[in-house]
Amino acid sequence: MSNQNHSLMDEALLDRLKEILLKDDREELAEIRNILEDRKHLSEKVSPIIEEHLSILKENFSTEYEDTINKLIELKLENSQEQILETIYPALGRMIKKFINHQFENLKESIDGTVKNTLSFAALTRKFKSIFTGVDESDLILSNVSAAKIEEIFLIERDSGILLGTASIKTTIDQDVIAGMLTAIKSFVEDAFQKESLELEMIEYGGYKIMIQTFYTYYIAAAVEGTLTSLEKQNILQSMHDFASKEIAIIPKPLSNKSILISSKLEDYFIKENSIARQKS
Amino acid sequence: MTSKKIILTGSFGVGKTSLFNQFIFNKFSDKYLTTIGVKVNKKTVDVGETQVNLLVWDIAGEVSQDKVPTSYFLGASGIIYVFDLTRPLTYKNLNTNIDYLKQLLPGGVIKVVGNKKDLLSESELEEILGQVELPVQFKTSAKTGENVERLFFDLAKELI
Repeated sequence: MSNQNHSLMDEALLDRLKEILLKDDREELAEIRNILEDRKHLSEKVSPIIEEHLSILKENFSTEYEDTINKLIELKLENSQEQILETIYPALGRMIKKFINHQFENLKESIDGTVKNTLSFAALTRKFKSIFTGVDESDLILSNVSAAKIEEIFLIERDSGILLGTASIKTTIDQDVIAGMLTAIKSFVEDAFQKESLELEMIEYGGYKIMIQTFYTYYIAAAVEGTLTSLEKQNILQSMHDFASKEIAIIPKPLSNKSILISSKLEDYFIKENSIARQKS
Repeated sequence: MTSKKIILTGSFGVGKTSLFNQFIFNKFSDKYLTTIGVKVNKKTVDVGETQVNLLVWDIAGEVSQDKVPTSYFLGASGIIYVFDLTRPLTYKNLNTNIDYLKQLLPGGVIKVVGNKKDLLSESELEEILGQVELPVQFKTSAKTGENVERLFFDLAKELI
């Protein structure tokens, strides 16, 4: 009995001793547990550390992970060459074509400027050659550069979009439909911007341009392929004006049943090798 | 050969493009693809000795016709106003819309067409026609092609 009492007393003493010795540690542990279990407290403590690490990562990302990323990209490129080429090839082609066209336009414009301002012996010789052969000076210089060419020309009733006459170098899809759609696009653009005095003058599609000159009851649309300088644009527009005043004005109205006559005039004026419009441009 | 510009107009989803495709290409598709802006195509119709080149402008649908750009109607000889026989909303303001079109195209031929006839029985059709404000000149089905050729042929005939 006495032994049992001693043992109980020892245990109580031990507990008391533990309490005294571990009090501070237990309190600290409770506080840590509280921090860990409470999301808000934990966030207050951890966030600055994470932010600091993220900021370090941001600053040193390229140096730290450069090799890994490079390897990943190399691997991806190696494994998906075909897929990547398929995606970028058409866009690249268009970009290159557009860039080359643009550069040609710049080049031709700069040559046009030079031709106008130079009075050297070479320039005079070229001028004589141009006068005698009837070939434009710029064309003599740029004999290797593909000149802009009217491929197709339409005379279209302004309101209805009904084709009044057409001429072209090559056969294209239904020209009545082209005339209708051109008129629809023209109407849409002019209506959308609600500028009554303005008219759609050009539609550009890659290296292909549709130049439009609107008159009172009809308009003329020329599909031009190749590089166009501002001078050539002016020449084509001037040819359209001349054609309207010299050729169309003399046709008895209405024009709606003169398709054969108008088409023949368009061909003579714009499409044939020795046509007036070609000589001008 | 004489050419005439025809406008296909009406609310959206009434089957204008389906009528257009059925008339031009003899084709019908159940897929609904909304028309953006306008689509133009042509078909030549023989009216007796005369060949009429019909240039059909299929215009994007609008609930109210005054929302359609007026320039689309310039130079048109005829208008086909299409509504959906199964959707009352598409013929609710028929009178107002037709009056507006008459102002835009004085002297022009305007045809009122109820489409999607194939979705209705004869009795249902009769009931619906009784609710429409104006006489419906053609009851068509772009799906089966019923009355589509006749619609354009009669219009062409009236235009020459």
